[in-house]
Amino acid sequence: MKLAYYPGCVLPTSGKEYDMSTREVFSFLGIELQELEDWSCCGATAIYNLDNLLALALPARNLAISEKSGLDMTTPCPTCSYWLWKTQEEMIDNSPNKEKINKALKGTDLEYNGKIGAKHILEVISDDIGVDKINSKVIKPLRGLKVIPYYGCYIVRPPRKNPFDSPENPTSMDRLIDAVGATPISWDMKTKCCGGSVVVSKEEVALKLTYDLLKKAKMLGADCIITPCQQCNLVLDAKQVDVEKVYNDKIDIPILYFTQLLGLAFNISPKKLGLDKNIVTVNRLLNSLGLSSN
Amino acid sequence: MIILDSDIIKLKNCDPNLVKEVIEAGGTNAQMCFSCGTCTGGCPAVYAMDHTPRQIIRMVDLGIKDKIFESNTIWICAGCHTCSLRCPRGVEISKVMSALKSIAIKHGYGADDDPSGPAWYKSFSEVTMRYGRIFEPELMLLFNIKKSKNPIEIIKSMLKEAPLGIKMLKKGKLLLLPERIKGKSHMKIIYENIKRIKAEEDVCSVYLNKLK
Repeated sequence: MKLAYYPGCVLPTSGKEYDMSTREVFSFLGIELQELEDWSCCGATAIYNLDNLLALALPARNLAISEKSGLDMTTPCPTCSYWLWKTQEEMIDNSPNKEKINKALKGTDLEYNGKIGAKHILEVISDDIGVDKINSKVIKPLRGLKVIPYYGCYIVRPPRKNPFDSPENPTSMDRLIDAVGATPISWDMKTKCCGGSVVVSKEEVALKLTYDLLKKAKMLGADCIITPCQQCNLVLDAKQVDVEKVYNDKIDIPILYFTQLLGLAFNISPKKLGLDKNIVTVNRLLNSLGLSSN
Repeated sequence: MIILDSDIIKLKNCDPNLVKEVIEAGGTNAQMCFSCGTCTGGCPAVYAMDHTPRQIIRMVDLGIKDKIFESNTIWICAGCHTCSLRCPRGVEISKVMSALKSIAIKHGYGADDDPSGPAWYKSFSEVTMRYGRIFEPELMLLFNIKKSKNPIEIIKSMLKEAPLGIKMLKKGKLLLLPERIKGKSHMKIIYENIKRIKAEEDVCSVYLNKLK
C-alpha cells in the first residue's frame, strides 16, 4: 500500500515529533508514504474566517497535485483532513462551488476533478489497517499504562457524511490503546474543545478550556494523554506550563501523539519517535516501561 | 423583568439582508433556528461571551448588525462545531460565526474595540499567501504588529512568546527561515482569481437587486 502524505504546515516545525512518529509507524506497518510534491497550506480554519472560497481553493491545489499522481492522500492533521474532505465533497456533490474551485486554480496548470480524497491517519490505522492487525504487530505490550484518549474537534467535527468514528463518542483511539496492551481511561471530555484555534488571539479562553481537560485527566490518574492533533498537542503540551502558572496548579501530565504510543508498542526507539521533543518530560513514563528518551 | 429602552429592537437598525449575506459568506440559514438553545448548552466557551450563540443566531435572523459586531462572541468562538453537530435544525452555527467574522473583517466592524481576532486571521492569510505555507515566527510578529500600534506593546508581546520559542528552537521544532513552495506564483494566481470571481458575483447581485 502506498499513500500520498500531506504533512500540513505544523508538522515540519512545532509538530516535528508527530511527523517523525507517523513516518516510523507507517514504515513499520509496511505502508509507504510518499510526501506530496510541493504541497501548500490547506488554509486551516483561519482562512474560512476570511473567505469561504479561498478555504476550498487552497486544499484543491493539493488535491489536484495528488490526483496527477493517482495516489490517495493521508494527513496527520485533523483540520487539513477536514478541509481536504470538504473540498472533495463540494466536487462530488456538484455544489455551486464546484465550478468556482477550478476557476480559482486557472493559470496554475492544475485541475481538480474530485477523484482523489484524503483520510486522516487515525482512520487509515484504525479502519484500513485495523485494530486487530495493530494488536498482532505489538512487540512490547504497554501493560499497566493508564492512557487518556483525547480526540479534540476536527477529527470528528464538523460532521462528515460517512464518519469513520462517532462524533459524540469516538472510540478508535480507545481501541488502539487497548490493542497495544495499555488501559484506556474512559472520560466525558473526549471531544471537548481545547481552544487551540484561539490560543493566539484569545489566549485566556484557550488556557481555561485546556485547564479543564488537564485537571480532569489528572483527577482520573492518567499516566499520559494521547491526541491525533498537533494543535491540541500544542496547547496541552507546550502551554501546560502557562496553564499551571495561571491556575496555580501543578499538572505535569505527558502529552503524546497517538503515533508515539503505537511506536513504543512496536519497540521503535523513543529517539526515533521524537519523544525527546515533547515539552512536558516523558522520562518518568519511559522509565516505567524500562526505556529512556535517548 | 424590566425592559430597558436599549433592549427594544428598532427596525431602522435591522438589516434584512444579513441572513443572505451570511449564507453567501459560507454560513447556513439562521432562519431555520427555533431557539431551543442546544448550541448554547453545549458551547465550551460561552462563559466568556457577551451574547450566547443562540442570541447571535437570533440577531442574524433579525439583522441586528450593530449588536452582533459590538459583541465579543464571534471572536471568542473557537470553531469547535459542537453546536453545528447538535443543532436539531441543521444550522451550522460555527460556520455562521465564521461567516460573521469574514463580514466583520471585510468591513472593519468592531476592530477598534478588539483588534486581536481580525489581526490573527489577516496575519495568517498574509503569511500563507506569501510563502504558500505557514511560517510561525513571522506569523507571530505580524499578529503582534497588527494587534497593537504601540512599539513597546509589540516588544512586550514578543518577549512573552520568547521562552516557548527558545524551548522549541532547542528541540528543533522551530524553523528560522520560511519554507517556500516551488509553485510560489500559484498563491498569487489563486488569490487574484478569487478576487475576480467575487467581484463578478458582487456585480451580479447589485444588478439582480436593481431588477427587483
